[in-house]
Amino acid sequence: MKFRTIFARHETALLGLLIAEILYFSFAGRRFGTADNISNIVRHSVEIGILALAMTPIILTGGIDLSVGSTLGLCAVIFGKLWRDAGFSPALAACGAILTGGVCGLLNGALITQLRLPPLIVTLGTFSLYRGLAEAITRGVDAFTNFPETFLFLGTGQFAGVPIQVWLLLFLAVGIWLIVHRTVLGRSFRAIGFAADGARYAGIPVGRRLMYAYTLAGLVAGLAALTYSARLGTAKADAGFGYELLAITAVVLGGASIFGGVGSVHGTLLGVAALAVLNNGLTRVPAVMNVASELSGVLTGALLILALALGALPKQLAAWRARRQISRHSI
Amino acid sequence: MKRPFRELSVLGALVVLLVTMAVLTPNFFDPQPLLSRLTAAAPRLILACGVALVIIARQIDISIGALFAVCGTCAGLIAAAKIPLAVAMCAAIAIGALGGIVNGALVAGLGLPSIVVTLATMVTMREALRLQQQGVFINLPDTAQWFSLPMRSGQFVICGVALGAVLSLSFAVRHLAAGRFVYAVGSDAEAARLAGIRPRVVTFAVFVLMGAMAGLAAVLNMAQSPQVDPNSGRGMELEAIAAAVVGGVSVSGGRGKLWGVLVGLLLLACVGPALTYAGVKPHWERAIQGAIIVLAVMADGLRNRMVAGA
Repeated sequence: MKFRTIFARHETALLGLLIAEILYFSFAGRRFGTADNISNIVRHSVEIGILALAMTPIILTGGIDLSVGSTLGLCAVIFGKLWRDAGFSPALAACGAILTGGVCGLLNGALITQLRLPPLIVTLGTFSLYRGLAEAITRGVDAFTNFPETFLFLGTGQFAGVPIQVWLLLFLAVGIWLIVHRTVLGRSFRAIGFAADGARYAGIPVGRRLMYAYTLAGLVAGLAALTYSARLGTAKADAGFGYELLAITAVVLGGASIFGGVGSVHGTLLGVAALAVLNNGLTRVPAVMNVASELSGVLTGALLILALALGALPKQLAAWRARRQISRHSI
Repeated sequence: MKRPFRELSVLGALVVLLVTMAVLTPNFFDPQPLLSRLTAAAPRLILACGVALVIIARQIDISIGALFAVCGTCAGLIAAAKIPLAVAMCAAIAIGALGGIVNGALVAGLGLPSIVVTLATMVTMREALRLQQQGVFINLPDTAQWFSLPMRSGQFVICGVALGAVLSLSFAVRHLAAGRFVYAVGSDAEAARLAGIRPRVVTFAVFVLMGAMAGLAAVLNMAQSPQVDPNSGRGMELEAIAAAVVGGVSVSGGRGKLWGVLVGLLLLACVGPALTYAGVKPHWERAIQGAIIVLAVMADGLRNRMVAGA
């Protein structure tokens, strides 16, 4: 029960931050609260949101996936290649891209579980490998453009007044929320994150569960590659560069412990929203308009460090107090 | 004493590659291009040895590329303000150590995972550089290049400093108590604590040393060109980690030799030119680099599995 109360506090604090951001930018920014801009914010945050949703189960297991941004780039390039050069229909090429993502995730999972390697080193290697393959396929310069209207609809179209990809994000959010919070699979992710050995003794097939989590991240990165390409109308090797950091930041801001076991999908969504509003809001404030992207980068990094430090501080203080108590008693 | 099988096999691969190059393209070994290539690799060598120590202590630091750029840019700004070069160079190392203190305090002091901490500091430093410089190069005074020496002696000085740093560090981790502490903490922090070592202090010190070495690498890089690029060092963290992992430093901590890192770095540095001679297009370079990291990590995992199974 105690964890649940900490949680509630964390997410309320995050909601407060989000509201403060919105209030500040509505007063200081120009044309921040217009319908156009709001639609802009959600459109731009969909890819990060999708990746962060898939990163949540991984971080719950105590792992990390640094390769999701590179996987996105590789999938976007594969999609373009299949559609333009292999003559696939957009739908078939899209399936190919998602499948590629799945294979990328499967490889991560296989290396991590079968060879018992630390996730961060494995995904650091594949971070470089997948991006490198994307560059190799496009020879470093090639960009795929002129996608058919039917495909671009995914990135620019609307359904019931809401951008198509937002429906996609909502659908995924509900799906992953149900998996994480309402199924045995989701509970086993937490169990693995709390104590992997304990989970194994309790009869949870740890390796297979981890494979699910990493493969899901790969598949979802493939999906994000599609909305990314459809939104920008182009697929290049540098697609999604640096997105892994934004996704991790959103998850950690959302209250997930980087050590695993603690976290929630709705927290992640709030984290994504806080980052997206910050990123967009700065471009609307006249004083910093010209350096908005750099400034939002600095603030994102600083925010991540702050969230981590605040999350770890109570535990450190408690440990320090306990140590002092012990030494006092022993004297 | 176990035979350093892993390091020797990498050395073997390097020798095979060098012999092949000697047979196929004799001009690979012309002294001047070879010296230039070694000089260009010197900053990477420093970073790779630093990050090898961090990995041996069972941590990781991916902010070193960004820290390298911060140190270079600050030193460049100081040197461009007509302040003596020696001051600028000391400042670069001090700023590097300061960056290391920040990383070390967050990792050792608060017990946060180093991957996320250094990921965050990497982005913060990169974006801060972009904010400050807007990508503008800094012109250095003429005296800065090659330490005001003729080019050739300058190159020798750079290679000499890098090699000297690696050799003294290699000696230190092998024969000094402080060096053994790093291995002890990396292989089992709790056992090290029970043996009277303070793991947090050791981890903190390793990060500070890493930062100072990033500063030194920035100095060696600055001395090679008339300008400082605020975007320099992009991807260098991966090259350094790749060199360390290929050179036999175990990603699960506690195992690795610095001469292995040197061999690993030389191997990786030769792969690029070798591929060019072999007619492979340069856009494959990153993919091959990534594949090498993944393969080296896989070899590490297979070895661990065999040890566990035996």
